[in-house]
Amino acid sequence: MDRETVPLAQRRSFLFIIVGAVGVVLGALTAWPIWKFLAPGKTAGKLEKISVARGEVGVGKAHFFNFHGRPAVVLQLKPGDFSAFSAVCTHLGCIVKWVVEKQEFLCPCHAGRYSAEGAVLSGPPPKPLESLPVAVEGDQVLIG
Amino acid sequence: MIWQIKPVGLVLGVGLLLAGSISPAAAQDESKPAETVCIQCHGSQPGRLGEPVKQWRQSIHAANGISCHDCHGGDPTDFAMAMSPERGFLGAPEAVGIPDFCGRCHVGVKEDYLASRHGQALGAGGPHCVTCHGNHAIVKASLDLINQQDCTRCHEFGRAQTIKEAMSETDQRLTGLTTDLAELHKVGIAVDELEGTTFALRNDFHRLFHSVDVEQVRQQTSQFQSRAAEIGGKIEKIQEELHQRKLWGALAATLLFFASALFFLIRKTYQDEEQS
Amino acid sequence: MPLRKKIMDFIDARLGMRDILEQNLTKYLLPKNVNAWYTLGAVLLTLFTIQFVTGILLLIHYVPDTKEAFQSVQQVTNEVPFGWLIRDLHAVGSNLTVATLLLHMLSVMFMGSYKRPRELTWISGFLLFNLALGLCLTGYLLPWSQLSFWATTVATDAAGAVPVVGDALVRFMRGGAMVGEETLGRFFALHVMVLPLVLGMLIGFHLFCVRRVGISKPPFGDDYQPPVIHETFHHEEHPGGIPFFPNYAIKDLAVICGFLGLLVVMVFFFPNLFIPPTAFEPADPFTTPEHIKPEWYFLWAYQALKVFPSEVIGLAVQGAFMTFLALLPFIDRGEERRPARRPIFVACYVLGILVFVAISIWGHYS
Repeated sequence: MDRETVPLAQRRSFLFIIVGAVGVVLGALTAWPIWKFLAPGKTAGKLEKISVARGEVGVGKAHFFNFHGRPAVVLQLKPGDFSAFSAVCTHLGCIVKWVVEKQEFLCPCHAGRYSAEGAVLSGPPPKPLESLPVAVEGDQVLIG
Repeated sequence: MIWQIKPVGLVLGVGLLLAGSISPAAAQDESKPAETVCIQCHGSQPGRLGEPVKQWRQSIHAANGISCHDCHGGDPTDFAMAMSPERGFLGAPEAVGIPDFCGRCHVGVKEDYLASRHGQALGAGGPHCVTCHGNHAIVKASLDLINQQDCTRCHEFGRAQTIKEAMSETDQRLTGLTTDLAELHKVGIAVDELEGTTFALRNDFHRLFHSVDVEQVRQQTSQFQSRAAEIGGKIEKIQEELHQRKLWGALAATLLFFASALFFLIRKTYQDEEQS
Repeated sequence: MPLRKKIMDFIDARLGMRDILEQNLTKYLLPKNVNAWYTLGAVLLTLFTIQFVTGILLLIHYVPDTKEAFQSVQQVTNEVPFGWLIRDLHAVGSNLTVATLLLHMLSVMFMGSYKRPRELTWISGFLLFNLALGLCLTGYLLPWSQLSFWATTVATDAAGAVPVVGDALVRFMRGGAMVGEETLGRFFALHVMVLPLVLGMLIGFHLFCVRRVGISKPPFGDDYQPPVIHETFHHEEHPGGIPFFPNYAIKDLAVICGFLGLLVVMVFFFPNLFIPPTAFEPADPFTTPEHIKPEWYFLWAYQALKVFPSEVIGLAVQGAFMTFLALLPFIDRGEERRPARRPIFVACYVLGILVFVAISIWGHYS
């Protein structure tokens, strides 16, 4: 009788140890995603600002630049009055052009027109151009 | 006793059942906007006057909600004023007026076309938009529009073929990107921005053709290729990430099934005990 | 004295905890021939817990407003670390939970465990099943995708077939004539607070019934004797049986791990089995996509409504069927639990399953 029950108890302990180890790994695999999900990221809400030299943006003119991988545009409608927008047309994604004579944006794909404030004037775009925050520091214009 | 329970049960059953019953019959059409008066009238007319509607229905314009009044003007809601110049009705343009007509929306293309040999031949036997694209049965633009049958109406196919070949590799690349992005979209990856960039790229590229200048196409091809490569790189990164996830998933599943087997074995040791 | 023993002594002296633990773990005896189907309850507890936890995590980011809902879900699945995993677990998990509910119900029916004195356990279970379906229906709308919007439109339309009060019923469910902002608001409240609360309380009651009456003995084996029906309260004992803990608890764990493995496989390799492409397009009230169908667990109702000549009849038939199911313990009053000796029941049971599967498949292809 002893010969059979001892191996049984040993077998059981052995199995418990292994399943315990598997359980620890599974526990870690479960806890890690939940932790990352809840913990705030280092860059949460903080995208660094892009700076553009004042001189590059003429009065009544637009300067196109790269804003964290997306095309964007900064305008100087009146001296000292800067505004910035995403240059991606909200219709299907083409890049808008600035029409100096009319002081408005025109999308070459399907003639969507936006005002100098980014509002839709005519054409297929469903939403205005996304506005980007602008600050002026000395001779640099900071966008973002 | 059962007849006491039945009414309650019936109400309960119906009430509970409503949580689970579905009917297909009634997604009412009140949710769709009414058809324009243009379609209502011309749609039922035989011959020449009704033909455009049939053709338009299969077009890419129809699929994107572009209707008669978007091009021809007029009032789509008022039968009496539908074709009134007061409401902006333009009628059908003359041949020389076609580029301006289509160019009201397709600004970039019009620009390239007017500067090209084709555009300069407008009114003197040269092609305009409708020549290649049709007027109502317009389909999504592709290199198939450059073909033996259509181009040889005016000149030999050789130069058309040259330009088609110069464009075909890039075109295939762009189509490939669009397909990959659609696949990613289907599994819920937010590729709206990438899809927009690819669409813009494709548009720029198709616009390029209208200059019908092979040298220009060849010069700009490398630019297009690198822009396409950029998008392709981003797509590959996403696909790699998706692949990684599957590997972790396989690990987790294997561990779980392994744990299950172990528990069954432990259970067995208890069963052996219970038996004896 | 080790810390653990000190803590246990403290609680035990005040609440008699050791006795409760013993009564429900080591001294809680189950019949020796208890089978794997009895683990489904524990599996369901696990699955509901996963739904609850993933639901709370999603709630941190979800915005219940028609203009922002879709975007908020997109954000969770694309920008929040592992958001895609939490979302997929919740969406795929809900389907696995319904499937397990069906299995649990089917095994209870087969073993006649709904019979006296367990009628209340059965009724609470039936209500739980409907609550789970309600959670599925309300949850479906929240992402505000094309699928959400149109599936909900079709689902709430069905109520219109009820005579006299049909239209008012539809308006009440939707909070208006059409599915819209009001619908999202009330479905959100239902899904996040009302239904989970009622579900939780009812699960508590259901488990209380199971423990209070005593677990049923599987009606199999040569030495099975039909239980004596008592006129007054009697707790069913199984002297000489196996202790729940650790003997059967281990089996619970084994089956739970198996189901979790299945869940993981589905989430990582087949997430789109239950999430079609229309789930990734934002809702457009003016464009009905083709092939809008309800989820697989509603296909039977969907097809049944189409099969009958009038919708009222279709609804009535479904209502009758659900009522029959709810009142099963009062309709099938025989004391016999062995399937071999309940030929009529087993025949109806098998027929019922076949019809359910067939009509669901038909609904999928129609």
